[in-house]
Amino acid sequence: MKRVLAVVLVLAAMTVAGCGTGRPASIMDKDTLVIGVRSDLPSVGFRKPDGTYEGFDVDVARYLAAGLGKEFVLMGVLAADREKVLQDGRADLVVATFTIDQERKRRVLFAGPYHISYQDILIRPDERISNVRDLAGRRICEVQGANAAQRVVEERGVKAEVVPFADYSACLAALKSKQVDAVTTNDVILAGLAARDGSGLRLANALFNEQRTGVGLAKDDVPGCEAVNRVITRMYQDGTARKLLRKWFGEQWLKRGIIAVPQFEGCS
Amino acid sequence: MTVVQTRPAAPAPPAPQRRSVPGRIRVISGITVASLALLFAALAAGSASAREGLRVIGRDAGPQVVATAGLYLALSDMDAQVANVLVMGDAYPAQRREALARYESQRAEAGRTLLQAFELSGDNPAERDTVQSVLDGLGRYERLAGQALLLNEQSGHPPGPPPEQVVRTYRDATDLMRMVLLPQAYNLTLESGTIVRATYDEKAALAPLARTAVVVAGVLALCCLIWLQLFLARRFRRVFGPALLAATVTTGVALFFGVTVLAQDEQALRTAKSAGFDSVLTLARARAISNSMQGDQSRYLLDKERADTYEHTFLDRSLSVMYVNAGNLTDYHSAVATRSTGFLGLLGPELAGRQGAAVADAYRGFQAADRSFRDLAVSGRTNEAVAARLGGVKKAFDGYDQAMTKLADSHRKVFERSITTGEGALDNLWRLLPFAIGAIGLLVVAGVWPRLKEYR
Repeated sequence: MKRVLAVVLVLAAMTVAGCGTGRPASIMDKDTLVIGVRSDLPSVGFRKPDGTYEGFDVDVARYLAAGLGKEFVLMGVLAADREKVLQDGRADLVVATFTIDQERKRRVLFAGPYHISYQDILIRPDERISNVRDLAGRRICEVQGANAAQRVVEERGVKAEVVPFADYSACLAALKSKQVDAVTTNDVILAGLAARDGSGLRLANALFNEQRTGVGLAKDDVPGCEAVNRVITRMYQDGTARKLLRKWFGEQWLKRGIIAVPQFEGCS
Repeated sequence: MTVVQTRPAAPAPPAPQRRSVPGRIRVISGITVASLALLFAALAAGSASAREGLRVIGRDAGPQVVATAGLYLALSDMDAQVANVLVMGDAYPAQRREALARYESQRAEAGRTLLQAFELSGDNPAERDTVQSVLDGLGRYERLAGQALLLNEQSGHPPGPPPEQVVRTYRDATDLMRMVLLPQAYNLTLESGTIVRATYDEKAALAPLARTAVVVAGVLALCCLIWLQLFLARRFRRVFGPALLAATVTTGVALFFGVTVLAQDEQALRTAKSAGFDSVLTLARARAISNSMQGDQSRYLLDKERADTYEHTFLDRSLSVMYVNAGNLTDYHSAVATRSTGFLGLLGPELAGRQGAAVADAYRGFQAADRSFRDLAVSGRTNEAVAARLGGVKKAFDGYDQAMTKLADSHRKVFERSITTGEGALDNLWRLLPFAIGAIGLLVVAGVWPRLKEYR
């Protein structure tokens, strides 16, 4: 009798142990998260000479990790690496001006957006470009892995000449040496670049394409994505979002648009 | 089974066999009763967990999706009606009255669904804050929209873009609606989806465990009953104890019935979620986004300065509803017109079957209407563009919306049926369990008591 009982219990224990392993990995099961942030964008995600990171995205990453109750390590990523680090598992989250679009959604999952920005145009001080149509026939810089310049040509149908560069510092150098006439991407990126450069480069204030900046996760991590969305909601409800935008882009910036929880993309 | 023999010799002479037999009967009966208690405890725990799952998904989150999606549609339609009135100018008196009446009724609907969403949000503080914030914003919106409508009335402009001042006031209103209120309503719908997903995953992981526990406890109880039976048969030279035999059969039936009901509930929960709820939620989201698309069409007409932005938003939303690789709206129009299957995006997986094909057809019609409407606007035939927006485009949109509603309704029926089936099975189990417990208890007592009495 006892032997039968023992066998039954062992079988039961094996059944129990067998469950719970079929679930895909989630950031919720980890204690420490590796968060990818940009290292080349002043005020957004920037690596200082001492190796630490600062910027709006970095503070958002910090808030997300705290809200999820996790330790975190930051990892610098360039625009072209953002999908790759998620796909091969080197990063758990990517908070790096990652614009949500349907093509990318086939490969990564997006929580958020945590910020709605617009596409704008950075120009030399003496330049007259004031909206996207003025870019026709001009040379615009494209950073590899980013799609902003392409969107001017394809979506808006403006016949500009797209010139590729590796990163934004190369773009800025090209703009100042008149190799290109404009740099176009998220307004927050441009504002940070202009402020750091300090040579008088300015924004054209041509807010055209709405860009939804999301948090990238591995494709099947639905619970993680939902948890991040909840933390983003809290970030807006407790006033942190407004505080961070003011901290990194100044009081004037807040007047450009409404600060409110963005409409989420949805995790499934 | 060798308890008595292995006991070390006591200083007193060994207890006569006569005393140890009732002792052993009591021990075996005790174990039997304990294993029966374990069986019924496992059944109760398993079915309570299933009931909780059915309640959260069927009575809580399901209705919350309907309420919050209704809220989104009402809010979005309010803004679309205001935009429509503004582009009508001083023409279309009947349609203007109709649009204003619709604005009023959607306002009432928004209030009603807000109240419902607040009730259903229970004690979730983030959801309550969101509902509160929508309520506050709605008051501000109504004021701004009222101002825009009044200024528009006073300006008496022809159909098409109203004067600058009207556009500026409306811009404040629509920005508030589109950037503050609608996102919150949409996120409430998503949050209900989150609750369902989390509950379902938890219950789906728990259900096999509960079923295993019931089976193990049940087999144990059956073994104990047979053991008791064999022991009594051997000691008292009886082949059958009818009462114990009946108890064994009843336990077996209860075990079988319990396991069947638990499996039925697992199935019901799975069907409710994947064949019902998921599609209902997706279609609610698609309807919400699509409704904003027709608002974007009116806004494209009435705000020249932002026309590019509104056209881009329209494309963005179109892509998220039905995705084909298209860089701009013209490409998108032709891609949608020529393609009939293989769409990605929200609606992609929902388009299978006859009703799904009807949705795809209606969507194609809507995009075709959009194309000719934009051609009119671009070529400067504003009057005709306004007429198209209020006529052909509206009709095409209504057809598309109805096709989605129809599809959502059939999924909602599947959802409700599964929840009812699951709850019905549980109700039966809970109605019968007390009788089974009572009957088995009485039968065990009836089987054991007379034997014990022989030793009095």
